[in-house]
Amino acid sequence: MKRTNPLVEGLLVVFVLAMVVPIGWMVVLAFQPGRTITSPEWDFAFTLGNFAALLAPGEPFLAQLGNSLAIVAGTVILCLAVGSLAGYVLSLLRLPRALTVVLLALAAFLPLVPPMALVPGLYVTLQNLGVLGTVQGLILLNTVFQLPFSVLLMKVYFDNVPPALREAALVDGATEARVFAAVMLPLVRPGLAAVGVFTAIMAWNEFLFGLTMTSGGVTSPLTVGIASLVQQYEVAWGEMAAAGSLAAVPIILLAIVANRQIVAGLSGGAVKG
Amino acid sequence: MRTARRPFGGFAEWAILPFAAFLAVFAVYPLAQLVRMAFSDVQLEQGLFTWSFAGVANFVRLLDDPIAVRAVVVTTIFTVSAVPASIVLGTLAAVLVDRSTLFTGLARNVILWPAVIAPVVVSLMWLLILSPNLGALNNLLATLGLPGQGWLGSPTGAMGAIIAVDVWHWTPVVFLIVYTALRGMDADVLAAARVDGASERQLLWHIVIPLLRPALLAAALIRLVMCVKAFDEVYLLTRGGPGSATTLVTLHIRNVFFDRVELGYGASYSVVIVAVVAAVLALWAAGRRWVIRANGNGVVTG
Repeated sequence: MKRTNPLVEGLLVVFVLAMVVPIGWMVVLAFQPGRTITSPEWDFAFTLGNFAALLAPGEPFLAQLGNSLAIVAGTVILCLAVGSLAGYVLSLLRLPRALTVVLLALAAFLPLVPPMALVPGLYVTLQNLGVLGTVQGLILLNTVFQLPFSVLLMKVYFDNVPPALREAALVDGATEARVFAAVMLPLVRPGLAAVGVFTAIMAWNEFLFGLTMTSGGVTSPLTVGIASLVQQYEVAWGEMAAAGSLAAVPIILLAIVANRQIVAGLSGGAVKG
Repeated sequence: MRTARRPFGGFAEWAILPFAAFLAVFAVYPLAQLVRMAFSDVQLEQGLFTWSFAGVANFVRLLDDPIAVRAVVVTTIFTVSAVPASIVLGTLAAVLVDRSTLFTGLARNVILWPAVIAPVVVSLMWLLILSPNLGALNNLLATLGLPGQGWLGSPTGAMGAIIAVDVWHWTPVVFLIVYTALRGMDADVLAAARVDGASERQLLWHIVIPLLRPALLAAALIRLVMCVKAFDEVYLLTRGGPGSATTLVTLHIRNVFFDRVELGYGASYSVVIVAVVAAVLALWAAGRRWVIRANGNGVVTG
């Protein structure tokens, strides 16, 4: 029924190229030696030297990669556990009305606040907890800023579970905790996947707290390490491009494989209005 | 229903506790500290904070700080440029993907890529393109025999660059929201209008766009909040420069907190910004209620 319109297809190709070319250019530069990068001609060569220099012993890159992976793992686990419990309660169980209103209001308000505005307060909080400058501290901060989204998305998924299932399981003698773990959680597996993939990306990409809550070097996440390369720019362009590619390409591959989860995450609360 | 009737100590209360605790410790407490800080003179001495009550002195100072006022202007220019641009481009992309017969699957996937890349990497990527000496763009201009530009070096060039980079990075979010709304649209309505002899242009303006209005409003709201929160890309691309040409509110807060270590003053600025965001959103919510009434219900929840 639909006919191919050359104008539509042409414009769409322009769109796709506009998205791909800047990414592709970075990946190309990651494999270029300094000689071709500084050349005013369009020269191209191939080297793995930039990656070797980044991963060389004594460079903080590997430690930062480890920190980022630990932050992602911790944040995803906490968001899944706390988010699914809270989403379940807000969707299917009864809480005192005042408590529900306060929690939902805070969950709606927190994403609106520029995180930079909360940095001094959070700095003091982490210091009091003794986790300032640590991976644990960054896991906690990443978690709290991803939780409102995680909870609301899980609530949307639990809203689609028929309440009769819970009542039937309770009548059969299961405890509330068992109903949640054995009956409800398996039913919202797509929601757990969406929350997991999305919070993983957000934690991997996080920069501001890594910048302000750590002292840099081997204590910081990957994004802060990349930013410190940028500061010396034009000297280490190849390494910069290599580091950027190492941070971006796995996420793009994830976006291809887990497209459905990312779509659910990105459009999450938004489409539901 | 058994546990729900118990006054407290049931499963529901235990299960909500971690979420409530996280919000209390990492949202309510820092917000309270921020407000307290805004009304205090806070000094950092030997790694310890000393607080003394300062009344509204910090807020009064704001009015005399040209950079603070300028940062609001800069953020406003940034926002009112980047939000509409990404709405228009995202909607265009959504319509194109919806109409395309050859590339729908590919484009739907690729157009999301920028949104999953770290802001830090996005700035790096654009530095590789916009840098005056080695950047691909000036190199391309030279190949075409055109003079190179300073891009990030001039005030207007830098502002244009951060707007363009923000639009590139976040248009995918608009695309996704609008595309989802387009797919959810009732095909029968469009078919019926076509049978009645409506032209494609009439369809677009009188049916598609009105039906998309809730999605467009949601996208605009999300983008507005993102623009006010924007920090990473600009911090790395321009550091707020040249001069204070691209010093957004968030960058100014960082400078006051970390370079000038004027915590009370920075906090008062933060409080004002949070209050302004809340006020704008309250107005938006009131406006939305009006739009819903004007449109009739049922359309909105998509």
